[in-house]
Amino acid sequence: MTGALTWARLSYRQQKWELLLVAVGALAAAAAMVWFATTLDAMRAANPDCLAGIGGGFVGAEQEPGAACQGVTSRYFETESLASTLLYLSWAAPFGMGVILGAPLVAREVDGGTAQLAWSLSRSRIGWLLRRIAFIAVFGLALLVVLAVTSELLVAAIFPDRPLGEDFTWYGRRGPLVVARGVGAIAIGVLVGAIIGRVLPAVLASIIVIGVIFAGVSLGLDQWNRTEATIERRNLEAFPPSGDELTALGVAYGIELVDGEFLSYSDAFDRGIEPNYSGVGGKVFESEADIEAGTFIGYDAFLIIPGSRYTQLVARDSAVVVLVGAVALGMAGTVVRRRRPG
Amino acid sequence: MTMADPVLETRELAKRYRRGVWALQGIDLELAAGGITALVGPNAAGKSTLIKTWVGFEKPTRGSVRVAGIDPWKDRSGALAHLGYVPQSPALYDGLSVEDHLDLARQLRPGFDREYARARLAQLDIPAHRGARDLSGGQQAQVALAIALGTRAPILLLDEPLASLDPLARREFLHVLTDAVRGDGATALLSSHIVTDVEQACDRLIVLGVGRVLLNDSVAAAMAAHAISSTEAPNAVASFGAPDGSRIWLVRGEGDRQATLDEVVLGYLASGRSTATPAAAA
Repeated sequence: MTGALTWARLSYRQQKWELLLVAVGALAAAAAMVWFATTLDAMRAANPDCLAGIGGGFVGAEQEPGAACQGVTSRYFETESLASTLLYLSWAAPFGMGVILGAPLVAREVDGGTAQLAWSLSRSRIGWLLRRIAFIAVFGLALLVVLAVTSELLVAAIFPDRPLGEDFTWYGRRGPLVVARGVGAIAIGVLVGAIIGRVLPAVLASIIVIGVIFAGVSLGLDQWNRTEATIERRNLEAFPPSGDELTALGVAYGIELVDGEFLSYSDAFDRGIEPNYSGVGGKVFESEADIEAGTFIGYDAFLIIPGSRYTQLVARDSAVVVLVGAVALGMAGTVVRRRRPG
Repeated sequence: MTMADPVLETRELAKRYRRGVWALQGIDLELAAGGITALVGPNAAGKSTLIKTWVGFEKPTRGSVRVAGIDPWKDRSGALAHLGYVPQSPALYDGLSVEDHLDLARQLRPGFDREYARARLAQLDIPAHRGARDLSGGQQAQVALAIALGTRAPILLLDEPLASLDPLARREFLHVLTDAVRGDGATALLSSHIVTDVEQACDRLIVLGVGRVLLNDSVAAAMAAHAISSTEAPNAVASFGAPDGSRIWLVRGEGDRQATLDEVVLGYLASGRSTATPAAAA
């Protein structure tokens, strides 16, 4: 047996049930996504008159469902709604990998006493850790790649007419970011397990730690996005919404003040501005008297990052979470080097 | 390093755990190369802690430790290269076979002699394909010993490997150990609280009590230098209860009769208890 196989076997035997759990969960979710994607495609193909141009819950102006189409569109939207819920799984899967695969990895070795055997034999605990992680990481990330691809297929089936490479719809729940977040979550889970050294407490703590760290990263990225976002006035008259309003990443919702500054509604209230009334052309007023006087404070607007920057943001955000994972892994290495084996 | 240099050494070694308990207090030890040394003491005497400081599993609070002249906290890799270690519980991977363990050891330790370890296990009829969880306690201990021996390390540290074994398994374990150590010219430190088991296997005896070294001598010299007296004497080490309920004294030099090794150890443990500090006894 080669070295890699020995480690794979050790990893499999040590975490057999966790590996089976995540494999069954991820593959079942992926299979469901593929099924829903093909079902939606098939429904559209079978009912072109009723469903042409449909997608994402909006019925195009030219395709208002007539009486004959109401049953078909209703079934289509029900199916699409169910399909959309699957995308929550691709959001949750990386966290699950961190908790279920990452946290027990070192914790079980310490808890079970096997770290004493391994660390007394291994001249480098870092080398041991990397070899120990390799199989679990490859296994977990392979499953996440499957989920990333199938979630992309599903979103493409829900929004058949949109170029998803330039569209923030279901951002973070499809494509490479799913895999990158898995890297971060597994590494954080390993760190928590290495610190705590007991399986169950490590699993429970990792739920909190991974959640807190990812919430922090998300807040940081939101702030970063604010510095790069552009203002887009809300077009209240257009329905269904189109263009950037559909494909952009919404960073904030608020008012574009008459001097050009963007103010979110919560910031506006903090400043004592009370934008209570919207009027024609998306103008925002503070009172009925202002409406009569024609004195408006600004325009109802979004702070957005246009869909054309989708690929760029996926790369940036993926790099950030992978970097967080690398830091966590480095810290896990330090903990493993210094801690007692049990 | 010359031949006269100790292979295992501690200087003023002290270890305090987080809750303020001192496991070791000012331990000065030097072990020369060769032979088997028994490290004897009751539970919580600090035997495991002492061994773990040499393996680099416990960091000294004060003082220093050396393995073949190397501080394991400054050069863990260098120190471990000289060590084979058998943990207190066999600590084998449940899901792996004996052969998998040897494979793993070969992956982790450059130069691991798998054939040597395999041969040791074959002598004991321990099947290589059997899962660790299907082995008896004695067989698991033998696998752990075979792995330590397979490292071909010149120093073996064995942390109470006999504790959970039945008498026959203990005897077999010690037989393999003495055979290997004497055959290879290695140095072994075997911790135990079962004196009778180590009496025949060990050349040297260290009695550890409440974190301090109470006796450090060759087994032969320790037995020759002590006797049992039924009355208190000025050269008494300590008194303790005999199996018949009477009180007896371990004395240095002449007494009523020759002391057994068990009585020598008991006498020194009793002396350690009577001089224990409150912190150490906590």
